Amino acid sequence: MVVSNIQQQRAITEQLRREAAIKRIPVSEAVADIVKYIQEHEQDDCLVVGFSNQRVNPFREKSSCTVV
Amino acid sequence: MSSDSCVKEETIESLIKEAEQLKIKLEDERQKLNDVTLAAVAERLEVINYMNIKPRRTLKGHQAKVLCSDWSPDKRHIVSSSQDGKMIIWDAFTTNKEHAVTMPTTWVMACAYAPSGNLVACGGLDNKVTVYPLSLDEDVSLKKKTVGTHTSYTSCCLFPNSDQQILTGSGDSTCALWDVESGQLIQSFHGHAADVMSIDLAPSEIGNTFVSGSCDKMVFIWDMRSGQCVQSFEGHESDVNSVKFHSSGDAVGTGSDDATCRLFDLRADREVAIYSKESIIFGVNAVDFSVSGRLLFAGYNDYTVNVWDTLKCVRVCLLYGHENRVSCLQVSPDGTALSTGSWDCTLRVWA
Repeated sequence: MVVSNIQQQRAITEQLRREAAIKRIPVSEAVADIVKYIQEHEQDDCLVVGFSNQRVNPFREKSSCTVV
Repeated sequence: MSSDSCVKEETIESLIKEAEQLKIKLEDERQKLNDVTLAAVAERLEVINYMNIKPRRTLKGHQAKVLCSDWSPDKRHIVSSSQDGKMIIWDAFTTNKEHAVTMPTTWVMACAYAPSGNLVACGGLDNKVTVYPLSLDEDVSLKKKTVGTHTSYTSCCLFPNSDQQILTGSGDSTCALWDVESGQLIQSFHGHAADVMSIDLAPSEIGNTFVSGSCDKMVFIWDMRSGQCVQSFEGHESDVNSVKFHSSGDAVGTGSDDATCRLFDLRADREVAIYSKESIIFGVNAVDFSVSGRLLFAGYNDYTVNVWDTLKCVRVCLLYGHENRVSCLQVSPDGTALSTGSWDCTLRVWA
């Protein structure tokens, strides 16, 4: 990227200053939280665990015959 | 070299030097905290063995490539937009078309439902974002209203939390927040060096943060109120076509022309996972997470949807069906279904 003037370079440097000041946590901690979140919500995730019964799937195929 | 004077004079040279030092410092700090890989942590977890996602509906009606789609908050309707300038509102249960609107432009690359479900927005090569109030009584194009205009195409749009504002991304490399009522620009977001391709809002708890992906290969996190970029992620080797917040709000998933999807963690401030295989060589156009965040759905140029286990970093399955590249996809608001749109002119619903 060609920086044509001091204003643009100042913006870039200021952006980096802000990003350098961010508080970070170790990946192990971040990842543990992601795993925890997923495990807490996974049982309600129909695309992962499926439907308890196909009848509750709003997009199930319409059955051509019904059980009387 | 002279020593630091009391009055610090900023010159281009000093700023460039400082920027270089900051980049090194940033990389060092990030690397220092990179103590484990996600896949290693996930090793002890059970594999996903129940996968029963099937094609359930095919929505036919577009005469050209489907470019974008969005679920209604009612979990039943879908708005889609196409290369031929059409926007269609579908009842995905019945596959009926409830509205078909012709836009005064081709390549309608962006469309979105408002949170109320009573309004949709779209835009594309007209550089605009236009809203259409939905009513069954009359032609919806009669009440259309142009809200914002970029200096290049509108690539993506969404309503952040209310019907009153629209957030857009554009080929002019900016994002913009518009007031729907007045059409005024509330905030613009400058920083990307190339076309913005995708934006996503952080889950509501966090409220005022959104993510953008761009052809400059970068992923930016923005503060909507200040207009400032608060974080940036690099790693992708080509255009970032799609970005999506993980439902936890702590990470973003991305899809790129470099044939990979990635996961960037906001608090670790770095990439924590890459979803790729040697056999996958085609670009990714769209990504979305299942409600728990365990699955990442990704639509590719090779007509397939790959389903990734976000934790174990392996592909769980492939969804075949489309006959051309998959351009958009989205999990329904309640997480029970996946919609996909393709250059084969159809949308499909999987559940």
